[in-house]
Amino acid sequence: MKKRKHSVLVVDDEASVLFTYRILLEQHGYAATAVLSSREAVAAINTTSFDLLLCDLSLEEGHTGFEVLEYARKKNPDIPCVLLTGYATSDAAQKAEQLGIGVLYKPIEIQQFLETITTVLRDTYEQTEDSKRAHRSQAS
Amino acid sequence: MGMATPEMRIVTPAPADQDSSRAPRMVRSRAAQRLLSAERADEIFPVLLEEIVALGFPRAAALTVDFETGEIRAAAALNCSSGFLQSLETSLWASENPLVSTLHGLRPAVLTNFAGHQALYCHPLLYRNQNLCWEAERDRRHDCLAVANYRYPRKLQLQEQMCPACDMRAYAGMVVVGMKPKTADRQLKDVEALVELGNRYLARLFKVEHYYNRMRDMDITISQMQTVMQSMADPVILTDTHHRVITQNKAAERFFRLPEEVSEGGMRAVELNNMLFSAALSSMAVSGTDTSRDLTLVDVSEGEEVLFEAVCAPTYSREGIRTGMVTVMRDVTDLRRADQEVRANLDKLMQAEEVVRQDRDRLNLVIENVGDPIVVADSSAKVVLYDPLAKDLFGVGDAPRDPIQFKNYAKLDAYLTRFTFSFDDKGTEPLRLFNLTTKSEVEYDARSGKIYDTRGQVSYTVTVLRDFSTWKKLEQLKVERRMLEIEKFAATGRLAGTIAHEVNNPMEAIKNSIYLLEGQVKPKAQPIYSVLKSETERVARIVRQMLGLYRNNDQIGTMDVNNVIEDTMALFARQLERSSIRSRVDLGKLPPIVGSADQFRQVLSNLVVNAKDSMSSGGQLVIRTRHVPAPDGVHGWVRIVVADTGTGIQRELLLTMFEPFVSTKGEKGTGLGLWIVKGIVENHGGKLRVRSREGKGTIFKLELPVVR
Repeated sequence: MKKRKHSVLVVDDEASVLFTYRILLEQHGYAATAVLSSREAVAAINTTSFDLLLCDLSLEEGHTGFEVLEYARKKNPDIPCVLLTGYATSDAAQKAEQLGIGVLYKPIEIQQFLETITTVLRDTYEQTEDSKRAHRSQAS
Repeated sequence: MGMATPEMRIVTPAPADQDSSRAPRMVRSRAAQRLLSAERADEIFPVLLEEIVALGFPRAAALTVDFETGEIRAAAALNCSSGFLQSLETSLWASENPLVSTLHGLRPAVLTNFAGHQALYCHPLLYRNQNLCWEAERDRRHDCLAVANYRYPRKLQLQEQMCPACDMRAYAGMVVVGMKPKTADRQLKDVEALVELGNRYLARLFKVEHYYNRMRDMDITISQMQTVMQSMADPVILTDTHHRVITQNKAAERFFRLPEEVSEGGMRAVELNNMLFSAALSSMAVSGTDTSRDLTLVDVSEGEEVLFEAVCAPTYSREGIRTGMVTVMRDVTDLRRADQEVRANLDKLMQAEEVVRQDRDRLNLVIENVGDPIVVADSSAKVVLYDPLAKDLFGVGDAPRDPIQFKNYAKLDAYLTRFTFSFDDKGTEPLRLFNLTTKSEVEYDARSGKIYDTRGQVSYTVTVLRDFSTWKKLEQLKVERRMLEIEKFAATGRLAGTIAHEVNNPMEAIKNSIYLLEGQVKPKAQPIYSVLKSETERVARIVRQMLGLYRNNDQIGTMDVNNVIEDTMALFARQLERSSIRSRVDLGKLPPIVGSADQFRQVLSNLVVNAKDSMSSGGQLVIRTRHVPAPDGVHGWVRIVVADTGTGIQRELLLTMFEPFVSTKGEKGTGLGLWIVKGIVENHGGKLRVRSREGKGTIFKLELPVVR
């Protein structure tokens, strides 16, 4: 199977951080879209279908990463998401767990960052492939 | 015997016996021979009467005076009818009787017409002698009765007829001779001389008999004394002035006299006994005041040592000259043994008393320093001891009780009675008493215990009253102080968190940028790049640690400490192995703990990393968990021990090691590890203790409360 580039949407209100994430993702073979605000993120989700969503928890003007994630899930319920945050209240951590969303705490070890992305993508799409396959065999 | 004194020998025979010299020689010598041959006093009268009759008198009788009754009776008679003899019988008190008056006059007389008889020659007889009795002789005195009677003829007085020198009782009597119608004066002279001679012999025999009797009496007395002495169980010894034994009883012979068949040891024992005895006598004689002395002698036949108390008394002659000593020895072995036992028992008793006293003093000291009122009561709930604080509270002794004290006492009494007669060994009950100075009610916690005697009966109860209000205040204070500490910790943490958060994003960018520059740096700039990278990583670690505390405020649930330890150890297994550290995990059965497993994982990681770092050249890491049940059975603790054999912690660091940014690891450490450990443990209501010896190792002991 020809390996296609996974498209990743990364959201962070810190431009410098966002910049480094984008470069990192691109260097490691992802098609990265980087946006600074929830508003831009929503616009991007409307136009593009992403394979993965990386989102800072605290965004501009009191918006949170959850809003972005929930919006994306409306579009694509299966989309894997990972929260990137320096600080999470226990409520937020609990909510993330309920939604099945992984959390990475800044400062993030780059190895861990990359491994998490790989793992999440593999788990989501290989599982999806498997279930499609299972679906097909059932139908036939 | 004292008889053979020179004075006795030079006594001359009667020099002036004119009466007898006038008697006819033949008659005198024959009669004298016969009288002399009489060996006993009662042989004299018959001989005398026969010689009188031989002189040509028809009849003669001898009368004697009974000194007890004063009766005068015939003791012997020759040719006398019983009627004649009866007519002679009279009494010394019949003074009108011419016989009696003749006797009293002590001079011979011729009685005519007495009781119708022919003339009677009456010659009174009395104990008389011209020589002093032996007694008077020996004692150089001159009041001998015999001599007095001889020298001073006088009236017969019975009460005087007892010799003051020899105690001899005299005799008195009369020879009565019947006269023929014609009797020549010469005949009378002859009979007078004969009777006088007879009386002399009688007196001599009488004296001999007296002394013989006295000797017999003395013999009897001596044998009685001997019997008494011998029958005494105590040794009695009479010694002379040179301490030589004169006589001793059988009891004494056992110690001082050699038995028939004696061993050499026995002989030596006797010698030793004698030596000891004379030494004791000498020392007593020298001291003059001591009359008793202790003396240990050896019983020769039985070989046992016997302790005596020798009591001495000097003996004196009649003249008052000291003749020696009589010593009576009392066997005091048993007495002394008993005495020693009593003394030993007394000593023991005193020692025991001393121990008891010390114990009591110690106990009193304890009681006085407890700082809580203490009351000791007996088995009938009657208070026997108050400590000073209790005295204030309840009032004691004669001092009039304050009404408040009275109220307090009533409450105490009720409580003590309840407790004493309950079946409980221990009791505790709140007791509301009044403070004497503030007059306010104070809640005390009365805690009592029972003390049992050897029979298992309650002998005493001890009650300690804890001032609950003070205690509560103290507890409150403790809680407040802890809260303050936690607050301080939290505030510091929050501040650190804020700073870290602000730093966090820029640092994330820097860190990522550095990563992205990897491999694009010129070789010349590579060292600079390395510093940049490692220092940034260090800052990242600090921030991560600080934020770690406040992030992950994940569900506080129940956790299994053992599971967390196993997970963590699995994570570190390879690292530890690489540092050649042997690890031993000893997990006890634990109840679940309320807390955050993530936080606890961090605690454990920090401790394990510290341990690993302190054992750079290998060692042993021990992790042990135990459940420590609380006495009340409800709560308890889970104890986690993390021990290493590493370098240990410097003494001066022990105080500051839990403060933030204190590190011994230089660039490698953040200085936050133990601060975080402490924070987490305390947030869990736990305790953290550390013991460390430089060069030996460190032991961390964590205790987390079990809450149900």
